[in-house]
Amino acid sequence: MPSNDHYVIIGNGPAGNHAADVLRKNDPDARITLLSNESMLFYYKHKLPALIKGTIGDTELSVKGARDYKEKNIRLRLGQEVERIDPRENRIYLKHMEIMSYTKLLIASGASPRVLPLVSNFAKHLKLFSSFTDALNQIGDIRNGRRYLVLGGDLVSFKFVRMLKSMGKEVDCLLYPDAFWPFTLTKDMAEAVNKSLTKDGIRVLSNDGLKSMNQTCEGIDVVTDNGYTATFDSVYAFLGMVPNISFALGSGIDTDRGILVNDHLKTNFNNVYAAGDCAQIYNPDIKSYWLSVGWKNAAVQGAVAAENLLGAGYVITPSPKSILSVEGFTVDTSWWENFD
Amino acid sequence: MNVTERYKKNLMVSNEDGMTKAMESVKTIVYSTDPRDMGLVRKSIPCQNACPAKTNIPGYIRCIHEGRYGRSYELNRMANILPGVLGRICSKPCELFCRHGESDLGKSVSICSLKRSAADLKSPLHRIMEGLYSPSGKTVAVVGAGPAGLGAAHELSVLGHRVVLFEAFDKPGGMLMYGIPEFRLPRDVLMLEVENILRLGVVLKTGVRVGRDISLDELLSEFEAVVITTGCPVPNRLNVPGEDLENVYPGLEFMERVNRGEKPYVGKTVMVIGDGFTAMDCARSALRLGATEVKINIRKTEEYMPIDDLEKHEVKFEKIRFYSLVDTQRILGENGRVTGIEFLRTKLEYSPSPPYRTASVMPDSEFIVPADSVIVAIGQRPEPSGVSASIEADGSRIRTVKDRFSTNIKGVFAAGDCMSGASNVISAISRGRNCALDVDEYLTGRKRKIQVVRLESVPSTDRDRSYDFIPRTPMDTLDFDQRVKPGNPEVEKGYTAEQAADESKRCYLCSLVYTIDTSRCIYCSACIDVAPRDCIKMAEDVPVMEDGSLSAVTETKKWNRVAAIAIDNERCIRCGKCYEVCPMNCIHVTKTELIELNIED
Ligand SMILES: Cc1cc2nc3c(=O)[nH]c(=O)nc-3n(C[C@H](O)[C@H](O)[C@H](O)COP(=O)(O)OP(=O)(O)OC[C@H]3O[C@@H](n4cnc5c(N)ncnc54)[C@H](O)[C@@H]3O)c2cc1C
Ligand SMILES: Cc1cc2nc3c(=O)[nH]c(=O)nc-3n(C[C@H](O)[C@H](O)[C@H](O)COP(=O)(O)OP(=O)(O)OC[C@H]3O[C@@H](n4cnc5c(N)ncnc54)[C@H](O)[C@@H]3O)c2cc1C
Ligand code: SF4
Ligand code: SF4
Repeated sequence: MPSNDHYVIIGNGPAGNHAADVLRKNDPDARITLLSNESMLFYYKHKLPALIKGTIGDTELSVKGARDYKEKNIRLRLGQEVERIDPRENRIYLKHMEIMSYTKLLIASGASPRVLPLVSNFAKHLKLFSSFTDALNQIGDIRNGRRYLVLGGDLVSFKFVRMLKSMGKEVDCLLYPDAFWPFTLTKDMAEAVNKSLTKDGIRVLSNDGLKSMNQTCEGIDVVTDNGYTATFDSVYAFLGMVPNISFALGSGIDTDRGILVNDHLKTNFNNVYAAGDCAQIYNPDIKSYWLSVGWKNAAVQGAVAAENLLGAGYVITPSPKSILSVEGFTVDTSWWENFD
Repeated sequence: MNVTERYKKNLMVSNEDGMTKAMESVKTIVYSTDPRDMGLVRKSIPCQNACPAKTNIPGYIRCIHEGRYGRSYELNRMANILPGVLGRICSKPCELFCRHGESDLGKSVSICSLKRSAADLKSPLHRIMEGLYSPSGKTVAVVGAGPAGLGAAHELSVLGHRVVLFEAFDKPGGMLMYGIPEFRLPRDVLMLEVENILRLGVVLKTGVRVGRDISLDELLSEFEAVVITTGCPVPNRLNVPGEDLENVYPGLEFMERVNRGEKPYVGKTVMVIGDGFTAMDCARSALRLGATEVKINIRKTEEYMPIDDLEKHEVKFEKIRFYSLVDTQRILGENGRVTGIEFLRTKLEYSPSPPYRTASVMPDSEFIVPADSVIVAIGQRPEPSGVSASIEADGSRIRTVKDRFSTNIKGVFAAGDCMSGASNVISAISRGRNCALDVDEYLTGRKRKIQVVRLESVPSTDRDRSYDFIPRTPMDTLDFDQRVKPGNPEVEKGYTAEQAADESKRCYLCSLVYTIDTSRCIYCSACIDVAPRDCIKMAEDVPVMEDGSLSAVTETKKWNRVAAIAIDNERCIRCGKCYEVCPMNCIHVTKTELIELNIED
């Protein structure tokens, strides 16, 4: 019997796309709509630095082309932002005033860079970077600038620092071991990072913090707690990610830091699931809630959520661990894929 | 007469030039107690309806727009005798309901910050207005000088009664003085407004605890009525092992000590348990006492915390972290002093009553976090037996007659948190004031004030449509370093006159009610075409509700069923566009205000 379901997926990242493929394979007749507030096709986020450098173009950035969606009869709607969900009425409100109905919903809206309270005094001077849109908006400034400060509080920051350095920029990196994301940077790890970056001509500021920032016609004058003073073209903050869930707040779908889901990735509504960087799950092994992080996890969760939307009832387990080596230290991780 | 009937009556006579009486009589003012008009005000002005004291919000915001800060302050004061205080610490139920905050319209107006701006920007020599009644010769004792007691004492004095205010602590203000910290509410602001109440002749006796220093019976023999406004002085306990260890503080006691200028030991790592006002104030105060890591531990999630987003923002800005979905199992200690807490993780579960979620613990999820001190701020409750054993209570709350304030003892009334349970300042003030009206009726044998709707025909709005797109004006606050300086400096800086002017422009002035005169409407639908949202409807019927007020219009899409084109004042944003385009001039604007009248005038 042909399916009457309309699956709507919010998010065109690895979680959303893996889910769409699984749904199509198992439910050939259903309507599937994939929504994204970005205008770019599904792309590799880890290749964004290469795009800025100019070593790759748009085509190499994208994971797959528009034809793939057509062939699979998946409706891809780009540049359309979800503003609100009404899970009781099975409706989604889009920013351009359209209301869309679904029978089953997957939230795979990922995460965005966060501005920690630690630096909120300086929020207006900080640039954030995590998407193709950010890359488009900032590519000109980055290519033309000379000197940058990077607040190094997460794994992506090191990639960004490396990118700037390889473009011939002068780079300072202020390390935030205590606020590091998604794990705490131990003293040994911080020392390893310091060594690894310093070796390549990057000035690392350790055990320091921001004291003041002022925009002048020369750039941004920065003074640190330890009294280090310098002027930068831009200051980039990489202090971890926070799930994109504002459209779900107050909707009745339970949220905490992310969308709260059980070990089947189901929210408190039977026909609403969440997967990838936006999902928050209780993990009995560590006796704590955790937020999914990284490409690999997102892809696995997207596929499992789709299977469960189809009725499979799979329990999500963390992917097998592998060794990730970053700037002179290694961690045993099940989430971050080593693309380099 | 209700607004519809009034128009009908006026419309019966048409002048030679085709002008109706309603259009001609621009200055007609009508007072109404018709349930339909009462209902109209409730629905049209959602902010005022949500305010426990029914403050005339569009009225005072309009005065700020016109630069009349003193008048704005007085409009506030009519409903709430502490505008400068409430402008700082009100729980702002109004802003949740402000029309501007509807999802397609942006953010609510900063009603509370504007209230503060009227208090800040008015002349320092501003004239206070009081509608004083002649002395009645009656005497009333008010027990407890918190917001409810102050509200009751003020209203009773205005009504001509001699009031003595008994307060157990050495200063008046209740939780405004001993709960809320100075960095949110400077004490000179509080004392100035308290002084304005005492100036009416209220005698304040501090350091007198009724039930210990003087009995209720003694008060009853000396005074013709007694009002009990003793608040919620007893902190709730977690009832877990370790709660009696050294450096575990009940939140209320902690704040009382801080507000007396003491410096209770907090150490470096402070764990606060609780999710309300008190928990936030304890956490922020602990930070100012030198703690470097402060965490607020809550059983549910931030979404279900009973405080507003701004307060959460300030807490986070001070680097205090929320730890959600945890439940305290026991407090650990060594040598009698706190060393940590053992928590269990919780999960959210549906519950049938608001806020529709409970937290249930997850088995085998225990974990321990270290702590130098623990502050347990999980609410407080009244203790009527402290005043007298003969007052009847529901649980711990003083029992009063339904919707009134009299207790089981003749001549004894109760208001504020001691009868409602822990609430907020504006509810306590409002209850204090309404209780005074009950006491007045008891003492004089008649009602002397009533609430009516004042209806006035006015020209259409003079607001520019561009005002609707002004973003909400945030209030400037101190940087982190300045906040933790000695002296507890006030964190919020208040609006400048320019900021207040900008923010005041945002208010739609929902007290303006737009109506279409159906007898003249030619159904051209020009108004519908210019309307910014679905505010004008083809109506089939307007059902009457049980309380006599009118319900929302029943819409129809079929022309043969249309009884009228009607403006839905719950959707209308008072832009005036329909008024401008109507070729028949059949759209009328009426200013509707809830006001208090003296019956005997
Ligand atoms: C620069 C960079 C480098 C990285 N490098 C690595 C790496 O080397 N290894 C690794 O494992 N991980 C890496 N990551 C992280 C990885 O990319 C993410 O973990 C992964 O993309 C998460 O997938 P997701 O599907 O959950 O969400 P995302 O990929 O973030 O996709 C979310 C989607 O939701 C859409 N969306 C959000 N809100 C709305 C809304 N309101 N309406 C409509 N659409 C919406 C977004 O447009 C987007 O399409 C990197 C990330 C960045 C930014
Ligand atoms: C730390 C804290 C922060 C808060 N923050 C806010 C806020 O930001 N906004 C908000 O709206 N609400 C806030 N609240 C709640 C608010 O303070 C109360 O709801 C309000 O004060 C209740 O007013 P009340 O007059 O009923 O009682 P109270 O303010 O408690 O006043 C009762 C008074 O009675 C006195 N008293 C008690 N027993 C006797 C007796 N036997 N004889 C004589 N006097 C007696 C007490 O000493 C006290 O002065 C907060 C509460 C606390 C504890
Ligand atoms: S727009 Fe003004 S009058 Fe209308 S609800 Fe908001 S504050 Fe009140
Ligand atoms: S004034 Fe008229 S057009 Fe404007 S919102 Fe109200 S009903 Fe609609």
